Order: sequence, then structure tokens, then C-alpha cells
Amino acid sequence: MTNYIIRRLLLNVLVLWFVATMVFLGTHALPSDFAQKRIASTMTGASQVEAIEFARHELGLDKPLWRQYIDFMGELARGDLGHSYESKLSTWTEVGRRVTTTLELGIMTLFISFSISIPIGVISAVKQNTWIDYLLRGVAILGVAMPVFVVAIFLSLAVIKFDLFQIDVLGRPHFWTDPLRALQLYIIPAIAGGIAGGAGIMRLLRSQMLEVMRQDYIRTARAKGLRDDTVWIRHALKNAMLPVITIMGLTISGLVGGQIILETMFNIDGMGRFLFARLNLRDFPPFQGTVIIICFVLVTMNLLVDILYAWLDPRIRYT
Amino acid sequence: MAHTEQAASTLQSGAAELGRRRTFGSVMRQAGRLANRNKLGAFGVLLVIFVLGVAILAPWIKRYDDNTQFQTANPKFNPTANPLDIAQDPELGSPHILDRWESPLGGDHWLGTDAYGRDLYARIVTGARLAVIIGVGASVIAVLSGTFVGLVSGYFSGKLDLIIQRLVDAIQAFPGLVLLMLIVSVMDQPSLFLTVLALGFLGFAVSVRIVRSSVLAVSQTAFVEAARSYGAGDFRIMLRHVLPNVLASVLVVFSISIGAYILAEASLSFLGLGPADKTTWGKMVNAGRNSIDLHPWESVLSGAAITLTVLGFNLAGDAIRDEVDPRLRGR
Repeated sequence: MTNYIIRRLLLNVLVLWFVATMVFLGTHALPSDFAQKRIASTMTGASQVEAIEFARHELGLDKPLWRQYIDFMGELARGDLGHSYESKLSTWTEVGRRVTTTLELGIMTLFISFSISIPIGVISAVKQNTWIDYLLRGVAILGVAMPVFVVAIFLSLAVIKFDLFQIDVLGRPHFWTDPLRALQLYIIPAIAGGIAGGAGIMRLLRSQMLEVMRQDYIRTARAKGLRDDTVWIRHALKNAMLPVITIMGLTISGLVGGQIILETMFNIDGMGRFLFARLNLRDFPPFQGTVIIICFVLVTMNLLVDILYAWLDPRIRYT
Repeated sequence: MAHTEQAASTLQSGAAELGRRRTFGSVMRQAGRLANRNKLGAFGVLLVIFVLGVAILAPWIKRYDDNTQFQTANPKFNPTANPLDIAQDPELGSPHILDRWESPLGGDHWLGTDAYGRDLYARIVTGARLAVIIGVGASVIAVLSGTFVGLVSGYFSGKLDLIIQRLVDAIQAFPGLVLLMLIVSVMDQPSLFLTVLALGFLGFAVSVRIVRSSVLAVSQTAFVEAARSYGAGDFRIMLRHVLPNVLASVLVVFSISIGAYILAEASLSFLGLGPADKTTWGKMVNAGRNSIDLHPWESVLSGAAITLTVLGFNLAGDAIRDEVDPRLRGR
């Protein structure tokens, strides 16, 4: 097991190095840079060209590519993710400011996706091939097919039409400052993201439940005279949840994309919106840094999930 | 003797079966049997056929050009109105009605018009063509490149395999949308081809994974070893013995992700990073968002179009997977 973890850690380092290189090459392959984007909007003519050259020199963008790559990797190895060209703040500071907001929405989204998908998955499996199974599966299949922004728009439309509550997209409320308004702001994106994430979980959970319910120990539990819901929850669900854990990494990776769209739509100042805005501004260091942080979290989580899986299911042995 | 006779008759009935299978009626009967077994899949296939039909026939059935801005003459227009009155009532100063939105089902525009007075029916139909081109195009790229690399990687294994797998890991470590955003930004005005290429690149990683694992399984079989023992070269074994046996996985990979590509493109377009000069559903959802309270139909219709199309391709893909290779379920 220790050997396995060490090997996986080393592989993860390799993967993150590939990720960092791809982000670096990707950003530098873009046709315009920050100097151009910023200065082209404020100056014209010969002074513009001069100013762009000067800004490039200041930012170190005029160095040869290999030199920039070595600098980038050196800084990365020391844990330095660079500074924003625009705000001059370090990437860590910029991300640190927004991580709580992203977690607020992210945790709420995860919570909703689990609280939708687990009961639905169980009911759908237990009532296999009845109208309720078809209905719930239909909802789940629709949930996979609907883009998050369409769900969000439909929900906003409903809220506006029936005048349910105000969506405060300007005040940036948080749960610890103004819980009610924060809930009103986050609930729509959280449901939209939750449906997208939950639909996948539900489908996997249903097929796992059906698999587990055919096992001998379920028949034994029934033969002992246990009540139906005890068998479903204690015996079936517990075992059917194991494979669901393995796709947690995938689920959260999918949430990130939704988070970018939803944070941008609802003007929520989290990491997703930050990432998108930095790319549009060609503000490379915070963009690269944020992508690397996200990939690091995802890769680490996948490793933790695999370890957790082996711990939860003693039949799994890694070598 | 009896044995060979029996074999011959089996062969004959097999040939007859093959011969019968050619007729249109029997093909339809078999399709009917499949549809009866998997009703949801049949529904998906019908949706896909409908969307494909709309996409192919788009230029003939769209009635109007999707970019023409229709204008209605303004009855209140007064060329001699003084600027003060115009400031109070902008309608007086314009020869056309300023608010160009037109409701669906009301007039000549079946689904109404958008904020610029463009026919929404024409735009939805054109969007179908784009969605199909993008979904199928990306899938073709992903499957062709993924099959080739997966075949080589799985067959030769070793160091090359290790490096390719880490590259695939790295691509999959990215949240898909981030990688797409980055690739598409390579052009200031992303083209259709670039969008398809970016999506195909993302799908490449998935295809390599699945094809490689099938190749690994097939490479262990006795017939591959037999082929090697009579001196067949690597190239011949890969092409004649391994490839035909992984084609089922390839078909599944091809059909199962088309919906996901269409969905991903819609997200890109929604964020303003879609193909620049094309009418796409994602763009329409975003454009309609600004006046969702008064004129919801542009967002609602294009959103529904995306959902139904993705739904159809997903259901059809699932059905193909279940028929061809149920072991790939959940991958």
C-alpha cells in the first residue's frame, strides 16, 4: 500500500508537470498578450507600439520562450505562482480571497446533488420498472442533457415571473454576513450545478443498487426478517455507494466547468469567474496558477478517493 | 457424414438468413424488435433522425436567412418631429420600430424574432446544422486519433505507453471547459474548425483510454499469439487481428460522446468563445438572457433545442452501447 501511494504520488508529480507545461504553452500560444490587450485600448499610433514594447519588457514577456519556461518552472517548484499583471497581487492572494466564495457555492452544489441523487437513485432501483422509476430516470437523463446555464435561466425565469424572491447579483452577500440574501443568490446556481452533477451520480447509484440487490447477503437479510427499508439503506445502499465514491473526482471536475459558467452568470466573485476573466484579459500568471491549483486539487482528490476506496472495501488491494 | 450434412444445412440456412436480411422489410422488422426491447433508445434514435433531418435540410426549410434583420415600419415615425419630442419618445425619430422583438406564433415568423429582428425559426434550424457538424465532427476527430494512438499504445505497451498514458492523464486532469477555453483562445475569433478540433482533442483522451483497454485485452488472446507464431508482422496483426476486434468499442466511443460535445460547445458559445461568425444555440441562449423577463422565448427555445438534441444523442449512444458492448456501461 505504501509503495502504491508513493508510486501514485510520483506519477501525480509527472502529471502536474505535464499540466503546467500545457498551460504554459497554451497561454503563450495565444495571439495577444496582456500588454497588447491593455494598451491597445488606451493609446494609438507610434506611441502605442512603443508603450507595448515597454510594457512587455517590464512584464518579462520579451524574453525568449525557453527562458520564460525555465523561470516559470523554477518559481512553480518553489511554490510561487507569480503575480497578476493587473493587480500586482500574488496569485495565492487573489485565489485566497475567492476560495471561500467558490467553496460556498461548491459545497452547496455538492450537497444538493447528493441530496437529490441518493434518494432518487435508491427509489428508482427499488421500484425498478414501475412508472416512478421511469419518471425519475427520465428526470435524470434530462438533467444530463440540459446545460447548467439553461437550467439556471429557466429557474431565474420562474423566480422572476412568480416574483419569489430578489436575486442580489450586485451586493455579493456571504453566508456569514447575510445568510438569507446569500441563500437567495446561491440557490439557483447551486441547483443548476447540482442537477448536472447529481444526474450522473443517480444513474451510477441506480445500476449499482440493482447489482447489489441481487447479492446473496441481501436475500439473507430479507430471510432474517429485516424490514425493507433497513435492507435497502443498511445493506444495499451502503455497498452501492462505494463505486459512487470513485467517481467523486469526476463529479467535482465536472462541477468546475459549471462553476465557471454559473459564477460568471450570477456575478459571483469566485475562482471560476476569476479564471475566465484572467484568460480574457490575458493576465497569464494568475490564470496559469489557478489552473494548476485546480488540477492539483483534482489529482490529489483522485488519489485520496482511491486510498479511501481501499480502506472502505477491504477486498481491494493495490500493489 | 450426418455431421457434415447438418453443417451444410446450417450454412445454407445461415446464407438464407443473410439473404433475407437484405430486404427492407426485414431490416425494419429487426429495428422494430430492437425498439421494442429498448423504448428509450428508440426514442433517442428518432430524436437523432429528426435533428439530422433538420440539419441536412436546413438551407431549404429555414424560410428566411438567419442573419437578416427584419424591420417593421414605424407608424408613429415623424420626420419633422423636433429633437425635444424625440428625446421624450424615441419612437418618433426612427423609421422602424426600435423594439424589434416579435412574439412566436403571432405572425409570419413562426417562432418570433430576436432583439435584432432576426427570424428565430431560421436561427434555430441553422443552429441544428451547427450542432450536428460540431458534435459529429469532434467525435470523428476524437475517434480517429484516439483509435490510432490507443492501438499503438496498447499494442506496443512499454515506455511509449507510459508516456502516452501520462499525457492522457494530464489532459483529463484539466476540467474540460478550462482546456477548451484555452485552446479556443488561440484565435481571437475562434473558427468553426478550431472549435471542432478543440473538442476532438478533449475527446481524444477519452477514446485513447477506452480503445487502449480493449486493445490490451485483445492482445492477450490466443489468435493474436497464433498470428504472431506464423510470422505475421506487428503492423499486420494490429490491422487485421486487433483492430477488427476493438471496432465495437470504437463504435461505442464514437456514438456515446456526440451529445457531450454538443453540450460543451454550447457552454463555450454561451461564454462567448464559440465559433465567431456562426449562429449557435449557446450564443442564442446568452443573447436572450438579457431580456429574459420580457422576451424569454429566444433563451427558452434555443435552450430546449440544445436539451432535446443532447438528449437524443445521449439516448441513442446509450442504446448502441447496450447493444454492442454492455461491458462499457459506466465508463
